[in-house]
Amino acid sequence: MAFIVRPSLLRQSFASPAAAQRVFSTAASSSMRQTSPLVQQLRPAFARTAAPKASRIAAFHATQRQQILPPLPQKVVGTTNDPTPIPDPAPAHGSYHWSFERLVAAGLVPLTVAPFAAGSLNPVTDSILCALLVFHSHVGFESCIIDYFPKARIPKIRSAAMWALRLGTVTLGVALYSFETNDIGITELIMKLWHA
Amino acid sequence: MASQRVFQLGLRRAVAPGFRVQPVGRMLQRRLAATSGGNEQSASEILAKQRLLRPVSPHLTIYKPQITWYGSGLNRITAVILSGGLYIFGIAYLAAPTLGWHLESPSMIAAVAAWPVWAKVSAKIAVGMPFFYHCLNGLRHLSWDVGVGFNNMTVQRTGWAAVAASAALTLYYAFST
Repeated sequence: MAFIVRPSLLRQSFASPAAAQRVFSTAASSSMRQTSPLVQQLRPAFARTAAPKASRIAAFHATQRQQILPPLPQKVVGTTNDPTPIPDPAPAHGSYHWSFERLVAAGLVPLTVAPFAAGSLNPVTDSILCALLVFHSHVGFESCIIDYFPKARIPKIRSAAMWALRLGTVTLGVALYSFETNDIGITELIMKLWHA
Repeated sequence: MASQRVFQLGLRRAVAPGFRVQPVGRMLQRRLAATSGGNEQSASEILAKQRLLRPVSPHLTIYKPQITWYGSGLNRITAVILSGGLYIFGIAYLAAPTLGWHLESPSMIAAVAAWPVWAKVSAKIAVGMPFFYHCLNGLRHLSWDVGVGFNNMTVQRTGWAAVAASAALTLYYAFST
């Protein structure tokens, strides 16, 4: 029974001192490097962690990685124990804004259906439709800018796009005011163009 | 004592076959990890490097095409087409007197009236499809906002219904003069 208690007594059973060393060490041994990923998975967890990382990951990725946006160089704000900073809450963000947008969208529904039912809109209703369309379009484009021009990645392009949008919205407001007061109004125009 | 030790060894080998136990006193352990005192600067460098290894959203191509997210994307694309057209028209209308264009309604109507039929029908389809799809999909969005029809199956059904209805309305209004 002595050889079970003290395997080192069986020194003569190993071909080389290196092989003996491998058995006696609990560190990552050279015998693990040549094994297949399946064998790695069957090993106990502590032995698996000693396997080279590439051999464990490569077996699961057959296709090329396509990242939509690779990460930027990271900057740690505060100490290392602080979480990622959360933006300050503002009353203009969030649910009030969202509810107002929903109200405008819901208001557009009858104004869109009415011309199909009645044939056209009177100038006042048409102007209300224009105002709601301007707001709805502005908010929609704003969401697109927020989604596709992230502030952390391209702050200058983001603010340039925002200012271009504001300028465009004001221009559109002036244009639609001019069109409503000097011309026939957009529902009437679309109807006449449609039947032209 | 010896029999107890043998039992313990056998148990350990059964649990963890790769772990060979040495007799006490001759155990050779190698710890590959070491700790050392670092400063705040090196700690934030390590953290910044580690954050680069965090997973990144994969590209859209890995997702299966489904009416749920295709419909959502189409909603935004049609919105941009419609609103973009409105913005372009508005800016062009204000710039028209300076540039010598005629964007007042009588001249525009006269210009369109002179088009061949195929051009009129194509233009109506090109405008009508985004318009009807965005309007009908907007109704779906408004119903979700009050919590109606948010079931996965219902979302798929109404999604296809919006596509079908907008196609039907577009064809109807494009060909009925």
